[in-house]
Amino acid sequence: MRKILALLGVLALVSLGALAQEYKVVPFGEGDWANLTVGKYGGYLVVGTWNNPKTFNHHIAQETSSTDITSQLHAGLTEVNPITDKVEPALAKSWEISEDGLTITFHLRQGLQWSDGEPFTADDVVFTFNGVIFNEDVRTDYRDVLMVEGQLPTCEKVDDYTVKFTLAAPFRPFLRQIGGAIYPAHKLKNLSRVYNPDADPEALNSVWGVDTPPEEIVGMGPFRLKEFIPDQLVVLERNPYYWKVDPQGNRLPYLDGIKFVIVGGADAEMLKFRNGELDVYAPRPEDLSTLIAEAEQKGFEVRIDPTKPMFGTTWIVFNQDCPNEKLKEYFRMVEFRRAMAHLVDKQSIIDNVYLGLAVPQWSPVSILSPFYAPEVVAKYEYDPDAAAQLLDQIGLVDQNGDGWRDLPDGTTFEFELNTNVGNTVREQICQIFADDCAKVGIKVNFNPINFNALVTKLLGSEYEAVLLGLTGSSEPNSGANVYRSCGGLHFWRYSECENPRPFQQRIDELYDLGVKTYDFDEAYQYYAEFQKLFSENVDLIFTVNMVFRYALYKNLKNTAEFSPLAQALGFSEYLWKENPNMVGNRVVG
Amino acid sequence: MLSFIIRRFLYMIPTLIVVSLVSFAIIQLMPGNFTTAFKLNPRFSKETIANLEARYGLDKPWYVRYWKWVTGIVTRGDFGYSMETQQPAFDALFKGRLSWTLMMSFGTLIFTWALAIPIGIYSAIHQYSVADYILTFFGFLGLSIPNFFLALVIIWFLVAVLNVGAKGLGVGGLFDIQYINAPWSWGKFVNFLWHLWPIIIVVGTSNMASLIRYMRGQLLDTLGQQYVLTARAKGLSERVVIWKHAVRNAINPLITMLGMSLPTLFEGAFFTAIILGVPSVERAYWNALQRQDEYVIMSGLLFFSFLLMVGNLLGDLMLAWVDPRIRYD
Repeated sequence: MRKILALLGVLALVSLGALAQEYKVVPFGEGDWANLTVGKYGGYLVVGTWNNPKTFNHHIAQETSSTDITSQLHAGLTEVNPITDKVEPALAKSWEISEDGLTITFHLRQGLQWSDGEPFTADDVVFTFNGVIFNEDVRTDYRDVLMVEGQLPTCEKVDDYTVKFTLAAPFRPFLRQIGGAIYPAHKLKNLSRVYNPDADPEALNSVWGVDTPPEEIVGMGPFRLKEFIPDQLVVLERNPYYWKVDPQGNRLPYLDGIKFVIVGGADAEMLKFRNGELDVYAPRPEDLSTLIAEAEQKGFEVRIDPTKPMFGTTWIVFNQDCPNEKLKEYFRMVEFRRAMAHLVDKQSIIDNVYLGLAVPQWSPVSILSPFYAPEVVAKYEYDPDAAAQLLDQIGLVDQNGDGWRDLPDGTTFEFELNTNVGNTVREQICQIFADDCAKVGIKVNFNPINFNALVTKLLGSEYEAVLLGLTGSSEPNSGANVYRSCGGLHFWRYSECENPRPFQQRIDELYDLGVKTYDFDEAYQYYAEFQKLFSENVDLIFTVNMVFRYALYKNLKNTAEFSPLAQALGFSEYLWKENPNMVGNRVVG
Repeated sequence: MLSFIIRRFLYMIPTLIVVSLVSFAIIQLMPGNFTTAFKLNPRFSKETIANLEARYGLDKPWYVRYWKWVTGIVTRGDFGYSMETQQPAFDALFKGRLSWTLMMSFGTLIFTWALAIPIGIYSAIHQYSVADYILTFFGFLGLSIPNFFLALVIIWFLVAVLNVGAKGLGVGGLFDIQYINAPWSWGKFVNFLWHLWPIIIVVGTSNMASLIRYMRGQLLDTLGQQYVLTARAKGLSERVVIWKHAVRNAINPLITMLGMSLPTLFEGAFFTAIILGVPSVERAYWNALQRQDEYVIMSGLLFFSFLLMVGNLLGDLMLAWVDPRIRYD
């Protein structure tokens, strides 16, 4: 009997040992983290947001006013380092990729707890993928980015702290994409029809709506929801069970919480920041002179980094499936598109529209992406003479002497250029472009229209030319839906899906090859070739990209590495305040 | 009287049906629908968007959706839900906003009337005097400056010129950050008043001109009446002539206007609320319009039409109450 008790005792000790908490230590002051320091506890980060969150359900949330908040509440298996943009362990402490690249095994950190104190295990991970994300009832775009060759990975539990994913084909972006929010099985399992056949198919879509009591929303993120007052304020508070510590073993985050003040728009947000009511603000170009002038007096600093353009692209596109057959013929000629590219005066756009705070964009891959290959990208610089020459070559000449170039049948060559009305930046770029076109005799009818109407026109292939933008990221494969011939956003030539042009066929191949290798250098070669081919054929004429701007009060610390990758909210768990009682530049009660 | 009120309420039903039918059809004329905004997002596949459309019934013709919505109201009292927040439509419009909207609107109403009526009377009595011109000028100035612009100018002036931040005062919203989620206290109340006055000034001044002109015009009309001449001829003091005889009669049409201002109480301070970032029903309605959140738009329209009609009825009843010559049977 005593032996058995002793044995039980040993077992208990062993299992206690197994429960030692494997926290992630963030090495402030070393390596990538050299510019960040160990901080002190207390205080709230106060930021402005323009809209109410629409849901607190991260996988259902569809716009930034919701996801800015929900991404603070949750964590994933992997995370992206906000300084280096590299994939790092998060809830998983390590992983192995099998020889054939098809099986990825994650080892989870042990002894972690949810924000309500419940233990975190492999069951939560398996539930999240099988019960929520792969569950067809749930309307999440997260499922789409995990599709490999039209198939979802499978997810199975190996033991309490090991999870295995099996893919249909090797998929390089997998480690980045798998880092989506893990949901708590102990809260939500009953709502999933995968585990509970009697569940309402809508249950997982409507759970954690804006009326949910805050304590019901449980996550693994640095903060948890405390209060939501519509049109006024969202308050997040520190998650006392968070799994990251600083080098001295202090549990992160340092801040007591985050307050999202719902302001009326950019003008009001700017005034509130100047008035010392917000800690941070991302200024528009027109705000900068005012802010720089009073930065000293009010105790904030303004950061501008011309080497760091923002993600996302703005471009002009010509519809190569245009309903107007005559236009279509020319829009399909690469010489015509190159001529148009020669007419985009990027420097003038930068100087006049962005007040100097932008850089030219030539490639479909974002400049900050590790896959950006400037050395191979073709650049058709602003050159009206070259444009005129190209236009002469393809037979667009002024026959009747009215100053406008004509089609071979003698009618004036003209096209309609649309953008979304009310976006003054885009309207100005269109105006500059149209003026430059007029100088070489190309008649552009600029017509800004309602955003929804524009999208309908663009995706319905009923436009002639459009100026618009797309979001970007450091992963080129996130553009697959745009650049592959059969992609849903291949709006310049949908007809190409059946019969792609030779170079487009190669781009499709490159997109396949680029995700099938886990070797960065190899993938880089594929994406470099893609950028070369695409820029030579100018299906999209890229314009310019705004550079990084940020204004923040000096009381906020660990801000040295803010960049387009991550600003205040991306660094939320590492931020601290010199004076915890200060918001902006003043002490509040 | 009771039968009159019942009759008026019964008349509202066909009106509301026509209003809702026409507005539902008009919403369909707007290009795109709730899901259009997602279509340009590279993360969304066509399947996911089709799934969204199916879920919200947006793949069905508008009359099918309209019928479903109407039967929901009649059979279950269900006004539909917000596609954006998944809340019941009325929650999406009113929750957390109604009391603030009413508070701001009543504040503005009192401010407007308390100033406009005396000014109107003064202007009428001192017709074509310098003071009359000056007051009228300022009335029209308030009317002609766009609200959103005045709102911005006021907070810009507070921040950039007066630098109120240095004195610990905030701009925009209903409270300073530390008071928003604090329990009510004297400090919070004072802070509320500090945030309330720009709203009242902006919205109040835009309504004042018309009220001043109405009051002035009505009183001038009345002052020209024979009984006023009679009263003066009887040797009554000017004060009694104006206040007891002229103003009391001149003010009747304005009482009707007061009743009709019921819907504006809920609409509150539309653009002002957006610029200043304060909770208001109209702001929620505006968001729904922009996102084409169909059932919220419809419920809002229905509610505002209903209020308009109740407001008209109230105006009529109040007129009957103050003017013994009017009787409804």
